[in-house]
Amino acid sequence: MSRGNGVWWRVAWRNLWRNRGRTLVTASALAFGYLAAVVVSGLDDGMGAELIDNGTHLLSGEIQVHAANYLPDRKVNHTIGGDDGVDVSALLRRIDEDPDVTAAAPRVYGGGLVSAGDRTEASLLLGIDPVREPRVTTLLSDMDGGRIPRSAHEVAIGSEMARQLHVTLGDTLVLVAPAADGLLGNDLYRLVGIFHTGTPEVDGSYTILPLADLQSLLDMSPDRIHEIALDVARPSATDAVVARLESTLPTDGGPQVDVRSWRRLRPELAQSVDLMSSMNFLIILIIFGMAVFGVANTMIIGTFERRKEFAVVRALGTTAMGVGRTVVYEGILLGILALAAGALITWPVMVWWHNAPPDLSGFVGGISWAGSRWRPILRVEYSTEIPIYSALALFVTSVVAAVYPAWRATRIPPADALGDR
Amino acid sequence: MSEPNERSDGRAAVRADDVWKIYPQEPAPVEAVRGFTIDVATGDFVAMAGPSGSGKTTVLNLLGGLTRPTRGRIWVGGEELTALDDRHLARLRLEQIGFVFQAYNLLPVLSALENAEFTLLLRGVPAEERRHRVQELFAQIGLDGLEDRRPGRLSGGQQQRVAVARAVVGQPALVLADEPTANLDSASSDALLDVMERLNRDLGTTFVFSTHDPRVMERALRLVRLVDGRIERDERRGPVPAAS
Repeated sequence: MSRGNGVWWRVAWRNLWRNRGRTLVTASALAFGYLAAVVVSGLDDGMGAELIDNGTHLLSGEIQVHAANYLPDRKVNHTIGGDDGVDVSALLRRIDEDPDVTAAAPRVYGGGLVSAGDRTEASLLLGIDPVREPRVTTLLSDMDGGRIPRSAHEVAIGSEMARQLHVTLGDTLVLVAPAADGLLGNDLYRLVGIFHTGTPEVDGSYTILPLADLQSLLDMSPDRIHEIALDVARPSATDAVVARLESTLPTDGGPQVDVRSWRRLRPELAQSVDLMSSMNFLIILIIFGMAVFGVANTMIIGTFERRKEFAVVRALGTTAMGVGRTVVYEGILLGILALAAGALITWPVMVWWHNAPPDLSGFVGGISWAGSRWRPILRVEYSTEIPIYSALALFVTSVVAAVYPAWRATRIPPADALGDR
Repeated sequence: MSEPNERSDGRAAVRADDVWKIYPQEPAPVEAVRGFTIDVATGDFVAMAGPSGSGKTTVLNLLGGLTRPTRGRIWVGGEELTALDDRHLARLRLEQIGFVFQAYNLLPVLSALENAEFTLLLRGVPAEERRHRVQELFAQIGLDGLEDRRPGRLSGGQQQRVAVARAVVGQPALVLADEPTANLDSASSDALLDVMERLNRDLGTTFVFSTHDPRVMERALRLVRLVDGRIERDERRGPVPAAS
């Protein structure tokens, strides 16, 4: 019976306010549940964002461009454009034209040995553009000492390698590496910088030198590079940039390239972030799973107190379903009320927490996780999904909590309730 | 015996045929109503009298379809309510039966007017017509100006008059009132009975009410005395008003 719906909504709304204190306490519990779900999930997202940010900005960038055959073997001859190479400036210009690309840095890689005195360490040699590289990564932003290598025969190494080689700034290092022509290249370099990323595998294995120097060591022409690392303005635009570059770079006789986002480049990082995101739903489930019992208990009490009224409306011609419906309407209205209150208290907290995150660096040091550095700064991240899912969960909670009391209301025998039996 | 969907005499507002209500209870079942048979004409004004425990309330609950008889059959407005499922029984109560309870039992969250128009709302009567009918009724029974008051701000007599308005506003075939004056002082009782009599006379509404108050019994056109769940005496005291 759908007629008279208006009166049931009216009755449900007014019933909510018969016991104002109880309604406010119940709505507050749901509202704080919403706050907890959104903020805890926001913290989780903030941690994920921190992992992505540090994981991509430390070294890999958010997108990388390689020759189609470069990954996964990383052979020294598999440069972009093959043995002939590519007009690097023109390629960078085309990449820079993408509206979502904020910076692009060319790179050359080689595997070799670094020696100082009688100590030798295996190292990954990385040739960089000293101007472009700092715009894409933070690899060289935190120096224990010295500066970025800019000129010929200058190198920087990580703090861990410096410790193992027992070298300090100004010392001479010998680099030996198999070159593109199959011979061994070697030369002397002056240590001008020692970087410290906090990630042991980076600090202990990378040797950084200017792009032209490494090309020379590896007997490669200036047109040959292995990689272009990109930074994009918005992480959400990463996939779109990948799609655009994949379709536009090979045109007009350009090289066949492989464009990969950080998700493909750093699957372990992507999985960690996905795991954290899935925890958000678990958090929502737990919070509202607990809330449903509290709300149901309150509604059962309210239903029991109104047994006689339910009997009266049954006597006046309402069906059992009609009686149950008004209890469900109360649940719906309680949900709307709690959601409004929840949104009102949640957004200021989110804005404040996002902009002024508690910094626990004084208590806890940085943590290395999934190859990424995580700073103990508890920043909450905004999300469009979590507030919507939490709102749905709150709403479903309040309606589900009303179902059992509603069912009980439909089972009240009118004659017994009217006779106080 | 008639078939379940057979209609009773069209002139009868309510008819009960050998109705029993037995509550299964330890150590022995309780026979609250025993072979109750009655035929109430449309427009009658019937009082059911009897001591506490005589089965008055149970009979009213049975006639109103609020509880089902253990055996026997009941017709209201020509429809056999004992053959109806819960949904159709609710529909019958909505359209054919009005209730007045001893404790008024107005919905506390609704105003006097909203309480009175409740059954019309459930029937889907348009708002304008609802308001018109309720206000006309309120004027007749002295509730003018009290439309917006919630029950908590009305006297007992006023609340019971609102309850009567709620019962009769849909022009049901039958109004059942369970000791409607029990909680009222004598002045309020008299005023309420005046209202019920006037509605019975002017609208032709059939009233069946229980009471143990001799002054109320005196005003009934028919007095049915119940003892131990049976009719002990059935006395006609005045003619049934002609159907308008």
